[in-house]
Amino acid sequence: MARAVTTNRKILNTAIAWGVGLVIFFPILWTILTSFKTEAQAISDPPVFLFFDWTLENYAVVQERSDYMRFLWNSVILAGVSTVLGLIIAVPAAWSMAFVPSKRTKDILLWMLSTKMLPAVGVLYPIYLLFIQLGLLDSRLGLIIVLMLINLPIIVWMLYTYFKEIPGEILEASRMDGAGLKDEILYVLTPMAVPGIASTLLLNFILAWNEAFWTLNLTAAKAAPLTAFIASYSSPEGLFFAKLSAASTMAIAPILILGWFSQKQLVRGLTFGAVK
Amino acid sequence: MAANARPIRLLRNLNAKIAAVPMILTALVVFVGGSMWTVIYSFTGSKLLPKKLLKWDELFAIPVPEWIAKDGALNFDIPVGIVSRSFVGLDQYERLWASNRWIISIENLAIYGACSLVLSFVIGFVLAALLDQKIRFENTFRTIILYPFALSFIVTGLVWQWILNPEFGIQSIVRGMGFVGFTFDPLYNQDIVIYGILIAGLWQGTGLIMCLMLAGLRGIDEDIWKAARVDGIPMWKTYLFIVIPMMRPVFITTLVIIASGIVRVYDLVVAQTSGGPGISSEVPAKYVYDYMFQNQNLGQGFAASTMMLLAVAVVIIPWAYLEFGGRKRG
Repeated sequence: MARAVTTNRKILNTAIAWGVGLVIFFPILWTILTSFKTEAQAISDPPVFLFFDWTLENYAVVQERSDYMRFLWNSVILAGVSTVLGLIIAVPAAWSMAFVPSKRTKDILLWMLSTKMLPAVGVLYPIYLLFIQLGLLDSRLGLIIVLMLINLPIIVWMLYTYFKEIPGEILEASRMDGAGLKDEILYVLTPMAVPGIASTLLLNFILAWNEAFWTLNLTAAKAAPLTAFIASYSSPEGLFFAKLSAASTMAIAPILILGWFSQKQLVRGLTFGAVK
Repeated sequence: MAANARPIRLLRNLNAKIAAVPMILTALVVFVGGSMWTVIYSFTGSKLLPKKLLKWDELFAIPVPEWIAKDGALNFDIPVGIVSRSFVGLDQYERLWASNRWIISIENLAIYGACSLVLSFVIGFVLAALLDQKIRFENTFRTIILYPFALSFIVTGLVWQWILNPEFGIQSIVRGMGFVGFTFDPLYNQDIVIYGILIAGLWQGTGLIMCLMLAGLRGIDEDIWKAARVDGIPMWKTYLFIVIPMMRPVFITTLVIIASGIVRVYDLVVAQTSGGPGISSEVPAKYVYDYMFQNQNLGQGFAASTMMLLAVAVVIIPWAYLEFGGRKRG
């Protein structure tokens, strides 16, 4: 809870905050607006803001050049399946860390988190070779595994903080009543942690959705998600800014919409779960 | 009673261990295995991507033990271009540190890292303190400020590449308003290009940092503010000496997130400048990548990535000791 403040201060603060918000949102807004301009208007000097001839031509061109739906579908599959798979592995792990902590629990958590700070490029080549060996290059399965692995530390960490909030006595009681390990996790712990799990799911979906390094390096055409779609427009012909904006808008639209409708879980997933 | 308690505790621990096994296994195999591989091959003169594939026994001149060969466990091909096994000692490292491009990469990463760390903290905290005073439409505001974080670095890079373009970005708008002499073209100026990338990075990451800090501030008891006010302590002093020390756990979380953002600057550079103009915005990850996949000089790439791993280890290990080793908590 914050301190009480006077009405004037409140209005001033609101104004400042919204000024900042506008500045932050402006690049996104500009991209969306530009996607509806013609190429000539997109680079006109001085720039036109709202009063231009709105056109959908860029979207048509982008769609014609590359099949948006295929990329979108790949993104959905990759982000969705890798997140769910990560949860399946992480829930038991987080359970054991939260309720049966040992001397090393903190160390393991820290070590896991520290892997998030390691440069991904350090393991790119070994994984690349592995992928050649196993025939996983440019396959959804391979990417799902990699995305799941790189987000696993965050999933475990977030779940751990949520589980810590749940009183251990409840689990103990269920154990007394004869619940086995599986029942305990599946029917007692998971239902209680649903809000936390939802936030974790959402955040990791976004992280997996945005992962560019691995998706760009391990895919070619078949399994490429939206990050590859947008990257393909950035190359030398990057001067077609209206089309680039249209492609960007198409790439970010799903996540913006998802974010808008799940504001509460998103913010909580990002804050509450990570703070404790 | 005591005899009864023991096996139960053992069983509990056993369960816990079983539950944690999948996670530990995956982490071990991928991160430790991958890193070891990288370190070992940094000492070789490996040049090419795997060209030739050999079977296990051809490669090591050791017959596969019969009990393994039976289920065909080792009967897969091993890429040999990389396993040229010509150990060259520290040659790759000497070449690395003699390379101008590597030095520039390191400098860029240092500048980006330091600025991003300090600025994210300061901006994030100031915004959070502002927001903590209860503004209107707070939830909507938070969502908007989090939006950049929901965009990938690729999109971020492209958007900012364009906003910072002198011909139709900020520079042209300000000039259009009458300030003809105004110059702001960070992406086209060798000396400040890294700051252009920094702006985009901050834009992308600060919203999240702010939200974390806000949650931390909200977690602080109102009574502490009251007590400070009663004692007549000025607000800035309350923040500096009471609130900030109390937010230590939040700061640690924030640090982890900022650090993982710094490591990922590669994406941003690729999307915004591809290392240009010239080589002025190169970063270490890109050096590694280019040597491995474009110049096909694996040894050099591995040497560079080993240096990166080493650098991270140098930062993390002492910090980990301070944080977790020094005093044993829970």
